[in-house]
Amino acid sequence: MSGFEPVLLRNVGVEGVRTLKVSESRGGWAAARKALTTMTPDEIVEEVRRSGLRGRGGAGFPTGVKWSFLPKDRKHTVLCVNFDESEPGTFNNRYLAEHDPHLVLEGILIAAYATRADLAYIYLRAEYHELFHILQRALDEAYAAGWFGADILGTGYRLECHIHRGAGAYVCGEETGLIESLEGKRGWPRIKPPYPAVRGAFGRPTVVNNVETLACLPAIIERGAEWFASIGTPGSTGPKLYTVSGPVNRPGCFEAPLGLTVRELIEGDDFAGGMAGGRKVKAVIPGGLSVGILTADELDCRLDFTDVLNYGLLGLGTAGAIVIGDDADMRKVLANTARFYAHESCGQCTHCREGTGWMARIAERIAAGAGRIADLDLIVELCGRMGMMSGMSICGLPDGAAYPIRLIVEKFRGELEEAIGRQPPGYTERYIRDRIPSVYALPVLQAGAAPARERAVPA
Amino acid sequence: MATIIIDGREIRCRDGINVLQAALEAGFDVPHYCYHPGLSVVASCRLCLMEMKMPDPRTNEPQWSPRLVPSCQTPVRDGLEVRFDSEKVRANQRSVMEYYLVNHPLDCPVCDKAGECYLQDYSYRFGQAASRVVDPKHKNPKKDIGPRTLLYQDRCVLCSRCVRFTQEVSGTSELCLVDRGHRAEIDVFPGRPLDNPLQGNVVDICPVGSLLDKSFLFKQRVWYLRTAASICRGCSTGCAIRVDHHEDRVYRLRPRWNPGVNDWWICDRGRFGWDFIRAPDRIVSPQICRGGEAGRVDWSSLPTMIRLRIEQVVRRHGPTSVAAILSPEMACEEAWLLGTFLRGLAPGAPLARGPVFVEGQEERFPVGCAPGQERFIIRPEPHPNRRGVEAVIEGLGGESADLEEILGRAAGGAIRALWVVGGYPRPDWPDQALLAAAEKLELLVVQDMLPGALTRRAHILLPFCAWLEREGTFMNHAGLLQPFEQAVQPPEEALPDGQYLWALAGHAGLYRAARVREMMAAGLPGFDRPHVPPEEPEHAH
Ligand SMILES: Cc1cc2nc3c(=O)[nH]c(=O)nc-3n(C[C@H](O)[C@H](O)[C@H](O)COP(=O)(O)O)c2cc1C
Ligand code: SF4
Ligand code: SF4
Ligand code: FES
Repeated sequence: MSGFEPVLLRNVGVEGVRTLKVSESRGGWAAARKALTTMTPDEIVEEVRRSGLRGRGGAGFPTGVKWSFLPKDRKHTVLCVNFDESEPGTFNNRYLAEHDPHLVLEGILIAAYATRADLAYIYLRAEYHELFHILQRALDEAYAAGWFGADILGTGYRLECHIHRGAGAYVCGEETGLIESLEGKRGWPRIKPPYPAVRGAFGRPTVVNNVETLACLPAIIERGAEWFASIGTPGSTGPKLYTVSGPVNRPGCFEAPLGLTVRELIEGDDFAGGMAGGRKVKAVIPGGLSVGILTADELDCRLDFTDVLNYGLLGLGTAGAIVIGDDADMRKVLANTARFYAHESCGQCTHCREGTGWMARIAERIAAGAGRIADLDLIVELCGRMGMMSGMSICGLPDGAAYPIRLIVEKFRGELEEAIGRQPPGYTERYIRDRIPSVYALPVLQAGAAPARERAVPA
Repeated sequence: MATIIIDGREIRCRDGINVLQAALEAGFDVPHYCYHPGLSVVASCRLCLMEMKMPDPRTNEPQWSPRLVPSCQTPVRDGLEVRFDSEKVRANQRSVMEYYLVNHPLDCPVCDKAGECYLQDYSYRFGQAASRVVDPKHKNPKKDIGPRTLLYQDRCVLCSRCVRFTQEVSGTSELCLVDRGHRAEIDVFPGRPLDNPLQGNVVDICPVGSLLDKSFLFKQRVWYLRTAASICRGCSTGCAIRVDHHEDRVYRLRPRWNPGVNDWWICDRGRFGWDFIRAPDRIVSPQICRGGEAGRVDWSSLPTMIRLRIEQVVRRHGPTSVAAILSPEMACEEAWLLGTFLRGLAPGAPLARGPVFVEGQEERFPVGCAPGQERFIIRPEPHPNRRGVEAVIEGLGGESADLEEILGRAAGGAIRALWVVGGYPRPDWPDQALLAAAEKLELLVVQDMLPGALTRRAHILLPFCAWLEREGTFMNHAGLLQPFEQAVQPPEEALPDGQYLWALAGHAGLYRAARVREMMAAGLPGFDRPHVPPEEPEHAH
């Protein structure tokens, strides 16, 4: 990627940059000073809106617009920093904060000031133990230096910031699940309205933003909205962190403008450096598991907010790519995917709770070599029945379940059917009957997607 | 009043309610689990989804929106157009019902809820007959979650009504949810069982057979049960109840919707505190004591005998020598019949209200709520009809006296005949003062349920039937007059109090409380128009 200077990762590898001193010597906190001393909150909101910054947490909602939903006459505002980062294949928030915690904290201060928040919570993924200490040390230092607390920089602005550690639930990354969990309750996403901007954490107007979204703010303040908007593709502006995992030569976290193609990400020398061990790409989950899957023929997909839609994906997601090599069994990919959502559905909404659980069992059976062609149709049907977009659920988790599961079945149907075709005759029926003997006594196998009785009952 | 259109039909509905409530009130059978009018809206079961017309973003023309919306979460507003009668809505209902059976054990044959289960009803009406599940079910456990309640988690539809009830109505928050996805379970915290004075309600609001009442467990198939509309006698709140019975045996009491009085709830004191009606030693036949020997008499000869004995006292000692003590366990009609009967024989007879006990303290729910925020109150007065009996005594005019005074006069010999109505199902009845006064009497008539020191002294003993065996009205703490039906027949031989008092008062035929109320209305305006709670919408639950 010629000519692109890293923005978010510019301090990676700099000795001691986790300390305030080194961070400041590298220009850290200068943007916060500029924002607090020379700009009004509304000016910052406007600047961010003009920069075209869209949320990096998955949904890609324009950040400035989100902030403008806060009621004008609010008294106390809460900023929730979404550091739950549980999307499979995603570790850019972690990478960023581990290397440059002060950049994250600076972003938090700017966002809080812009939204006139007096309270900020960093909702940190439970498993990030080490990172917790890194962040807490940086926060303590920033507090001691007067970047948090009362009367920051003598402006009279006060901001308290706390790190709240989660308890290991994916759904607590969903913004209202996060808020419930923060309030000490079970992490069940809330029904909307009211939206968090109106009634969020502890009943107060609340903004929830991803870590990477906030980390973009110092650069926007410092270099201006026009500069930021000049990076990337139309509608998808700014730098982005991409992570790559799987059998590639250099798995890791990389920075590039939005709009990098999947092929560049996997093969580029600045990025993952090609497939390891002579493997070929069979499939790529490009943006965190929930967005769906690309085949080896679809590697020209640009990772920005619009091109992904041309490939049937849910969205850009987190740009956390999982590369799947040609030695992988798609039945196992399917089972693993389905199992994740069955494990993580919070259990509130019927379609999500039961649908994910049912699909996981079907997929695991297919992976165990006891699949039926009809199961593939059933899975596609069940995927079509879940999600917030169709009104079947409270939160977006089942959308994120339906996309990858359905796209694996649809895009890799040939391979799956072939695998099913290789199963020994009668094996599926024996497998099923061994587990539930009663199933053949009921007319289940005559119904709908199930195969006809004559075929199902072995002689 | 908003006007909305449901399935092409214009519906006028109350303001501030949601579309689901409006639809149910208009008689639409919209399936729903998580919605309960007495609890907060969570919109999680997704059974109540509907199609709704929304303005098209470009043309602003109302268009059917492509996504379904929960009717329980959508407030009514004028001009709103929705439909349930569409293939899309039905497809969703079918699909939700299919999901509920993915892990359900289908053990209806041994389930108490069978017959009144909304999983059965909705599967039948909105689901499909055949299952497509060929994979093993996830089996959730059965748990003992409290002294009165069992939880069969494998039957649960996770509507979270029970959890919300303990949070929002009882305020005790014993129930919670643990684990995620289809492994999610209702549970209690370690060492904190479900045990609060309103706990029985969770069994009622559970739409399926997941929460079970131990006292009803495996006792009766619900389709054999008949229901009578009654009023609870546990305290002066006057909760409306349903009495479920079969072949003159009561199986359970449940709340009956009564907005503003008890809403959808009753307390455990009322729900479970009626086993005294099954006491083996209940007084069932009229008895007359002659020469120290008690002997049963025939119901048909009773009126003449009583009349003669009272007339005798009046002749000897004058019309103020007869008095009666009316129990707050009586119905208004019974008190009125007895009062008018006695005054007919002894016009100056003083009437007093019997003792009123106190049980515990007023209990307000949700526990710890601010004054004025109560959703349920259990009152310390453990009788249903103190105010009603007082109103009848006052309405009858003549001399009313308080209990002490009557007892004093009896002890002093001014009162020679005393009619005492008991019926208190409690060990501290009767007290010593009453027993001492009874010693001096020429004639002691006692109406009571269980034998004791007072009934042994009675010259004439009459059975007092339990309120479930009688009909009449109670007036609650706030002066609300509420009728109750007879649910079961009294034990063999016994007649309901109203029936023999009716005969005593010289009337022929069957005692009908409503008829007595009409007669009462002359002196007691309004008694012919008691408060009857509205019917709950047919398809609400
Ligand atoms: C099931 C689910 C899980 C999510 N997990 C995360 C997460 O781990 N981190 C995150 O930033 N956003 C997550 N989101 C997205 C958040 O709901 C929200 O859109 C985001 O935090 C908004 O921040 P942004 O506007 O800065 O992107 C999740 C959403 C869903 C539906
Ligand atoms: S959609 Fe799934 S994860 Fe989201 S609230 Fe409903 S059950 Fe929970
Ligand atoms: S136990 Fe009953 S009331 Fe409670 S969540 Fe389950 S189905 Fe609903
Ligand atoms: S979602 Fe409306 S009743 Fe459950």
